[in-house]
Amino acid sequence: MRRLIGMLALGAGILVGLGIFAWAAYEVVDALGVVTFAAGIGPALGQALGSILFLQLLFVMLLATLLTLAERKWSAAMQDRIGPNRARIAGLSRWSFGGVPHIIADALKMIAKEDVVPESARASKLLFQLAPALNFAPIFCLFAIVPMGPPVTFGHLVGHRLVSISSALQISNPDIGLLYVFGVASIAVYGVSLAGWASGNKLALLGGVRASSQMIAYEVALGLGLVGMMMAAGSLRLDQMTQYQSQGLFGTSWLPAWGIFLQPVGFLLFFAAAFAESKRTPFDLPEGESEIIGYFVEYSGMKFGLFMIAEFVEIVTLSGVITAIFFGGWHLSPFLDSWIHDSVVAPLVRARFSDPTLIAPSIELTMAVIFTVIFMVKLLLLCWLQLLIRWTFPRFRYDQVQRLGWRILLPIGLLNVFLTGLLELLDGSTRLLGVVGLCELAFGLGLVFWTGPSEAKSEGHGLPTEAVLGGHP
Amino acid sequence: MSNPKRPVPAYEAPGSRPETARERAYFPELARGLAISAGHFLRNLLWSRDPSPDVLHRRGPNAVSTVQYPEEVAPYPPGYRGMHRLVPREDGRPRCVACYMCATICPAQCIYIEAGEYPEDPIEKYPVRFEIDELRCIVCGFCVEACPKDAIRMDTGTHCKPSYDRPSIVYGIDRLLKGPAVSHASDVWFKREGSDPPPEADPHPIPERGR
Amino acid sequence: MPDQPNVPPSSAASAPSGPVAPKPESPAPAAPQPPKAPAGFVNVEIDGRPLQVKAGTNLIEAANQLDIRIPFYCYHKKLTIAANCRMCLVKVSNAPKLVPGCQTPVTEGLKVTTNSPEVMDSHRAVEELLLYNHPVDCAICDQAGECKLQDYYMQYDHRPQRPAQPKLLRHKRKELGPTIVLDQERCVLCTRCVRFMKEIPGEPQLGVFGRGNHEYIDIFPGQELTSRYAGNTVDICPVGALLSRDFRFKARAFYLSQAVSVCAGCSRGCNTFLDHYDQVSYRYRPRENDAVNSAWMCDDGRLTYHRLVEKRALAPMLGRVGAGKPAAFAEAVATAAKRLEPFRGKAELAVLVSPQLSVEDLLAVAQLAKEALGASALYEGGLADGVEDALLLRADKNPNRQGLRLVAKAFGLELRPFQELVDAAEAGKLKALYVAGAEVPIDEHMAAAVLEPIEVIVTQAVHLDGLAGGSDVLLPASPHAEDDGSFVNFEGRLQRFERAYAPWGESRPHWALATELARALGFTWRRASARAVWDELRDRIPEFAQVDWSDLGPNAIRRPGIGLAPAAADARPPGYRERPVQLKARPPEPIQ
Repeated sequence: MRRLIGMLALGAGILVGLGIFAWAAYEVVDALGVVTFAAGIGPALGQALGSILFLQLLFVMLLATLLTLAERKWSAAMQDRIGPNRARIAGLSRWSFGGVPHIIADALKMIAKEDVVPESARASKLLFQLAPALNFAPIFCLFAIVPMGPPVTFGHLVGHRLVSISSALQISNPDIGLLYVFGVASIAVYGVSLAGWASGNKLALLGGVRASSQMIAYEVALGLGLVGMMMAAGSLRLDQMTQYQSQGLFGTSWLPAWGIFLQPVGFLLFFAAAFAESKRTPFDLPEGESEIIGYFVEYSGMKFGLFMIAEFVEIVTLSGVITAIFFGGWHLSPFLDSWIHDSVVAPLVRARFSDPTLIAPSIELTMAVIFTVIFMVKLLLLCWLQLLIRWTFPRFRYDQVQRLGWRILLPIGLLNVFLTGLLELLDGSTRLLGVVGLCELAFGLGLVFWTGPSEAKSEGHGLPTEAVLGGHP
Repeated sequence: MSNPKRPVPAYEAPGSRPETARERAYFPELARGLAISAGHFLRNLLWSRDPSPDVLHRRGPNAVSTVQYPEEVAPYPPGYRGMHRLVPREDGRPRCVACYMCATICPAQCIYIEAGEYPEDPIEKYPVRFEIDELRCIVCGFCVEACPKDAIRMDTGTHCKPSYDRPSIVYGIDRLLKGPAVSHASDVWFKREGSDPPPEADPHPIPERGR
Repeated sequence: MPDQPNVPPSSAASAPSGPVAPKPESPAPAAPQPPKAPAGFVNVEIDGRPLQVKAGTNLIEAANQLDIRIPFYCYHKKLTIAANCRMCLVKVSNAPKLVPGCQTPVTEGLKVTTNSPEVMDSHRAVEELLLYNHPVDCAICDQAGECKLQDYYMQYDHRPQRPAQPKLLRHKRKELGPTIVLDQERCVLCTRCVRFMKEIPGEPQLGVFGRGNHEYIDIFPGQELTSRYAGNTVDICPVGALLSRDFRFKARAFYLSQAVSVCAGCSRGCNTFLDHYDQVSYRYRPRENDAVNSAWMCDDGRLTYHRLVEKRALAPMLGRVGAGKPAAFAEAVATAAKRLEPFRGKAELAVLVSPQLSVEDLLAVAQLAKEALGASALYEGGLADGVEDALLLRADKNPNRQGLRLVAKAFGLELRPFQELVDAAEAGKLKALYVAGAEVPIDEHMAAAVLEPIEVIVTQAVHLDGLAGGSDVLLPASPHAEDDGSFVNFEGRLQRFERAYAPWGESRPHWALATELARALGFTWRRASARAVWDELRDRIPEFAQVDWSDLGPNAIRRPGIGLAPAAADARPPGYRERPVQLKARPPEPIQ
């Protein structure tokens, strides 16, 4: 029970910490935006710099680093173990801090290890050195278009002139939106293939080849999975998709029009394909750490560390994209959104501030911070889900991977596109999409919870009973 | 199952059962698998671990079966005998007479003996070196069975302590010779002082000749 | 061990042999009427099996020919009959009671029973009585593993001792002399030792004292057991009463493997078993050969096994005393060749050869000296002469001087005594010296001092002392226990010995070293084994021309697949000790 209370307290502390982080992010993004605005080059550059600092360098990298530990601690919890808990900070502390010092130990190890360039890689040393960066960079860049917080308008006095500057927690918001995701994500395979080839090791090369063919197989399903949501939202921009999902389904205010409800099949397609792109366990054939040897077998030290951290960055990025597209971004539901605004935030702010000119901006900023925290929590839960999948499922065989990609996901994706297009033609609103999507969800859940008649009669896997054998002789 | 008299197979292969519709649909089974993992995760995350060293008797929802070794030591089973010791005599010398029976029978060949000679003792032979390589020892107890002098016993109830280097796990007489002294009524030192016959041993003493 | 062929082999047929029955031309059919025995032979039936045997043979030997083993303690083939242990009691058709097998000669038509319940019960009873006062301290007894009390107890008695009076306590450790220690408690009073001392060396230093239950073996008052042959009493003692002070507590007998070997202590060349374990020799035991050493050997010879294990040169060394440092083998050989090269074919180069080397070693060394080094003479080294006696000991303490003579003659090399080498060295005529076997007849340090001025000394030596320290290049050689080979003893008898275990360290046989040296000097000789050397060079020696190496000794039938290098931690492959030593004519069981 103590541990339960402690965990709840820890969760609350994490929420508060995320809130503080979000608030600081808004303030800094806005401040930098004002600085560049005052310099005459518009607020966008400063806002982007602030977002890069807070979202990518702090949020994504810290989260990816913590995930390296979470991978081990959470997998331990799933497997009834404890996980790493022996590292101590300078050997002084009695407590293991949940194993957090292991992160420091790992980082030190990675950095301090010898950076080996094998004899076989000497011929293409430049490419050998370049490959980890080529793998890491595109994945890292992907997060640029993830909208983490809604735009907030701040009023500032710039040179005796009052200006309103709108700041959002999103580094960049291009019109091509999702196409950027597809394009940049595809580049990552170059790093992997290059690593396999430049190592001059035939096993590494095979790993790289496996990686590229797997990526090609799932690239199509990846795109097709999102086409439905693009058609529904009528936009490629992620902030507009988020906006689209803030409405209620069937005119109700409690059921949000999240992508998962409108496009459950699309979600499954995209999730499976994205998982395959991230090369994690059900699809980890390119690496095959324990048996078949992957593309980074010749890498050591921090170069290997880049490959590893890229994997976790990809988890975070993927979670962000999915949150924005399928889980309503920072929205909960119309009812909850307005309830938080009207019943929680507005009275508190009104009680806090007496100056009426401050009330409206404060409410807006507070709501934005709360929305950002909601987004982050959704993102964290999706990260957890990915680790859960990674530690539950065994690896596919290679022919199964290819069959799943080409013969199952691709036809289903095409069907989904046609179906969604048909429904959109029949009814432009979310109504028909929602009905079909919920039916699909209900069918899936029914399959999960349905115990068929064969289950009851099942002999199990043990010995046949005497009745089956016709009694003992 | 055409022949009812066919021998009962040792196991039934899982493939012999037809797959249900849900299993063929695949995703529902994945979801159930995830539920199991998530259940374990939440149990182990939210409830604290029973630190009882006896794993089988742990209570509570937490299912972690780890024993944090140096702090928690799993209890030995009731029949555990433990590491061997060289049994001392009442005077502190080992009972061992360096007969090599233990070294001969040892299936791991982990016992090394070098024999020496006492100048004055009813038993002339003793081990100058008696070493057991605990890394090779398989604790089978054959040496105890083979010993004709009750000089090696496995009754310490402890196990070999781990070490960072190999030489310190080769146990010599200094570390093996411990525990309570043992003597039997048939022991030779109850009959004579040294290798010469005691004067009262022979009712018809023969005069000592030409030493 | 039967007789070895003499050199020349024509004399082999004249070598005396044990009481062996002539082989009938056709095996005797199991017919009620056995064929008439030849003159001097009689028909007997042992356990229902017919046998023709020489009249006067005792029952133990006769049964032995049918592989029927009658147990005994006091009987020894080479000693007089005492018949005091009563272990060999068997039933015969012409006596109402059981008779001792050792004392009873065969007669025509005699029917002998060795396995009836009556006989077995007699064996059991005798065994029980012999164990009446035996302390059963096998745990600390060196004889355990080769003890007849143990063997016969397991075979005939095999039951616990009946409650009786306390066992008699006697001296457990009486040092009889420099080599022997006596445990009177273990003694079964077979008197083999007493008879041996009286009959073989003729030095009756042991006797039986006391009466009845209080009998014991001892030395006479005021004397010590000082005979040079006292060690044989340890061998013939059927129990652990008489023990060697040298071997005592060194190793358990059941660990030891035995190799067929020849004593290198003197030119007699007594046939021996070399007992070894884990590449270490522990003792010599005499091996029966009526033509050479009967069943005995001297204590001096027994102790020569120390030379197999002590002060060994195990790595090549470069540089003389004080500056010597270990070197790689190839480097040492190359250096030796380079240093010897300028002196090839010149009179300033001398070759010193020791008669401690085997014939095979000498063949390779002589070929090297003659063909590679261009020498015309060999200087004869070897140990100085010592004590000689009428029984076995020879004054010449080198096992192979005759072999050296034969080899030198065959290669047309003149043999010069060691003194001439000393003279030449003192006169400054020598600039290079190649030594095969560093034993010298004069004091080692004196010899080293005399040879000091010589510019180049290349030595192949087994030991690190003496000449070895004064050489520029020292190549480590292995002694005869570590390779196959043969010696020619003082009467011209060629005797094979076998390799007991792999050479120690980096040492290699002399023939291998000589061959390597020749290759370094530009020759293309290749030899894989001592056998190869023999096959290559035998024809150069007319006396050897008709001798088949395989006939000489046991090595040709070495069981394949069993290596001599340590196979397990105890260096003893399973069953290795039990390896049958099959010889051309299978001898009767070795008799202790």
